[in-house]
Amino acid sequence: MRIAYYPGCIAQESAKELDMATRWVCKNLGIELVEFPNFSCCGSGFIDEANEVLNIAINARNLAIAEKAGLDVLTICSTCQGMLTLAKVRMQDPKVKARVDAALKPIGIEYRGTVQVKHLLKVLTEDIGLPAVKAKVRRPLHGMKVGAFYGCHLLRPADEMQSESGEEPRSFEDLLAAIGATPVDYRGRVMCCGFPIQFVKPATASAIAGRQILDAKAHGADAMATPCPLCHLSLDAYQNKAAKEVRAPLDMPIFHLPQVVALALGASPEELGLSRHLVRTDGALAKVNASAPA
Amino acid sequence: MPEEKISVPFEVYRYQPGKDTTARYQKYTLDLVPHTPILTALLQIRAEVDPSLGLRYSCRSAICGSCAMQINSKSRLACETQVGPEVARHGRIVVEPMRNQPVIRDLIVDQSRFWEEYNKIEPHLKLDPRRPMPEGKATSMTPAQVDRFKEVPRCIACAACYSACPAAEADPGFPGPMALAKLYRFAVDPRDTAHEERLRRIQPNGLWLCLRCHLCTEACPKDVRPSERIRDLKEMAIAVQGATELGSRHAVGFKENLKGAGQLNEMKLVRATDGLLGMVGQLGQGIRIYRKKPEIMKKPRKIEGMDELEKIYAALDPPPKEGP
Repeated sequence: MRIAYYPGCIAQESAKELDMATRWVCKNLGIELVEFPNFSCCGSGFIDEANEVLNIAINARNLAIAEKAGLDVLTICSTCQGMLTLAKVRMQDPKVKARVDAALKPIGIEYRGTVQVKHLLKVLTEDIGLPAVKAKVRRPLHGMKVGAFYGCHLLRPADEMQSESGEEPRSFEDLLAAIGATPVDYRGRVMCCGFPIQFVKPATASAIAGRQILDAKAHGADAMATPCPLCHLSLDAYQNKAAKEVRAPLDMPIFHLPQVVALALGASPEELGLSRHLVRTDGALAKVNASAPA
Repeated sequence: MPEEKISVPFEVYRYQPGKDTTARYQKYTLDLVPHTPILTALLQIRAEVDPSLGLRYSCRSAICGSCAMQINSKSRLACETQVGPEVARHGRIVVEPMRNQPVIRDLIVDQSRFWEEYNKIEPHLKLDPRRPMPEGKATSMTPAQVDRFKEVPRCIACAACYSACPAAEADPGFPGPMALAKLYRFAVDPRDTAHEERLRRIQPNGLWLCLRCHLCTEACPKDVRPSERIRDLKEMAIAVQGATELGSRHAVGFKENLKGAGQLNEMKLVRATDGLLGMVGQLGQGIRIYRKKPEIMKKPRKIEGMDELEKIYAALDPPPKEGP
């Protein structure tokens, strides 16, 4: 399949490893990524707080770029997925559409609303399908217990995000099972990572992140995996702060979603930039090696 | 044709502070038709199995808001949540008291903090004494004015949103979704004369602690959509007061950030929010991250079609004075 690749800012900057893993997975599963150097940032939920209509217009422009090329959009970030979908939903309101169109039409941009926005999780589980993913697995992650961590904007509000469920999704767990890992069921998997208030009240943000990591740990997780690079920042890059806030030692490897898939499909840690994580991932990888000879 | 009964395993939270040392989960199994409300099942347990079970309820019709509790970790009204889908999804039904409020007994919680936060936002019209409400006459509001807050009066104060809120859980300074949704209702009511004062007061008092996780909107049985009302409040607060709080500085800083390259400049954003002094405080963590991810210092590539983005900004920002 061909799809417009919307990497988002973070995967091109501090989470470069997410971009590396995405390209690896897509190449190996026959997903052709079409790149558009004119995509802008989605506003990350912050522009929505400052100016709702501007946020919609920025993302309507992004959507129109893919729409004009006749392609759906692939996102690899829960927040990008949320913001692009939000624009799609809000543009169904004729009053909003009129205001946004008044800004887009003079610069020759037309948004019609025919384009679909799909996170990689959905493309893998629905378009490619779990049997096809499973067929490509060369090194099943047997023995590795993984806590999926969805990221709010992928799920909620469920009606607007057209998500599988606001609080009880299962597609990520199904994907983890398909690649041989053991998914861990814990309440924190659909909770917030704390990232949106990292700049407002860092201690509270880290306490929230720490809570979810502790919850995953209490349910036996060797690692967590997330479809959102902002959750990844909060859970990985700030894990030392989270440990301080919850007054517990934390040593939880945090994978990006395509990294766990690529590992099962046979990619090496180097190809996936695992050394770029703040928390080492070897402990979790050792679980696989111990029980499943390559 | 009558529905067939299914076996429904319940695990119900039991705890009496002062008497029990720890909470326990008591198991009951009932044969019920799938559409049985969980409240009906709990009342059956109390009537037929265990009269000591403590719970709060009244109308059984999702009107009074008394029976909010956690059902398989979701904050819901027990009277409108049916057993069938819960058993199908989880194989059992775990019933626990609401979160973020201390347990009085079993499923009954102390709602004092929830109501204190509600009272703090002064949930009543503040009128201009020089312009009293016309005696014996309806006050005039256009349908469009009423529409702006049409969702909020549906609230039945069940506190499911408060129970679901991770900000309320982590930070006692956060007013909670319901109080903020109510604040919104008065902040857009044309009869109220304290709009600016309300928005000024709520900013340092927790408005920007909302994580926009939308768990409150998911929990709300009346579709008040508190998280969306809180978003509206944030934009209104910036409009009356500018970017004065860390949260509003971050939101406005982010919006301004894209004017450079169309993509996020991470370092510039930290500087805009925290200022140079704040950045020094984050230096240790910054260096830790930089060692592994040197791109945080990199200037982003300028997107093609930046002129289009600039024109969109010129057309839609700043927003018109009357608010969103």
